Amino acid sequence: MARMKFICDTERCIECNGCVTACKNENEVPWGVNRRRVVTVNDGIIGQEKSVSVACMHCTDAPCMAVCPVDCFYRTDEGVVLHDKDICIGCGYCSLACPFGAPQFETKGAFGTRSKMDKCTFCSGGPEENGSVAEFEKYGRNRLAEGKLPLCAEMCSTKALIGGDSEVISSIFNQRVTTREKNGKYAGGQAFGWSTAYGGPGTAEPTPTPADKIPGAK
Amino acid sequence: MKANFKILLLCLSLAAVLSACSEPPEIAAKVAKRPDVAPYMGANDGFMTKGWTPGNQASWTEAINKRNQNQNEYSRVK
Repeated sequence: MARMKFICDTERCIECNGCVTACKNENEVPWGVNRRRVVTVNDGIIGQEKSVSVACMHCTDAPCMAVCPVDCFYRTDEGVVLHDKDICIGCGYCSLACPFGAPQFETKGAFGTRSKMDKCTFCSGGPEENGSVAEFEKYGRNRLAEGKLPLCAEMCSTKALIGGDSEVISSIFNQRVTTREKNGKYAGGQAFGWSTAYGGPGTAEPTPTPADKIPGAK
Repeated sequence: MKANFKILLLCLSLAAVLSACSEPPEIAAKVAKRPDVAPYMGANDGFMTKGWTPGNQASWTEAINKRNQNQNEYSRVK
């Protein structure tokens, strides 16, 4: 069973915001809402400036699910945390609970009233029929049901953002880290947000998978 | 006797008040979580990739994992 996750390789992210644009375009995300965004730290400090592409990490023990007063969240068998917009009341509790700032709210009306929550769906739509117009209008494209992966990761020019089955993506990431280390460069083996999203403090970073055990590898 | 009557009256009024907090079944059904269809069942939107059979989880997983390797230069460029 696939367990979908994202990794952003901070050694590769060049802050091009291509992932942000791709996500907005593919899912026709409303004005004012960014399901994905690029955060840069240590701006201007040579050698220390790092960028990371952040969206919903589809946490194992998702805090948004825990705090939702109307229980609109659910987790798919692939580990993707989704929500039902027909149930959401737009209270914003999830936004306060999320360590990644993933839940977004479109501001509607003259008095800035909040709409229902919107967040990254790992390009797997919502509870509507797969690939239907209703699903697209509420949640965006269902690329997983089309046999594809999230567009942000698939179109990333430097392949900094990797998305897919955790076993596969962690093996890809580990291969890079090992190669960088071998070449005497900074390894950059910290997978941003992984211990927060998929385990408690002290949780090990992605572990290498032997080349012959990598699913789908040539 | 009078005390019992008071308790009974209190219980009845409490039941009447709390009944307002209940959820009619038709409303509960409306907001009930709808089961999501698994992605390996495919999408009927004409944008599906080839090489896997909708409804076959194993073929979908294999196709997704193969596609995942497009994000790996070490396997793409050899």
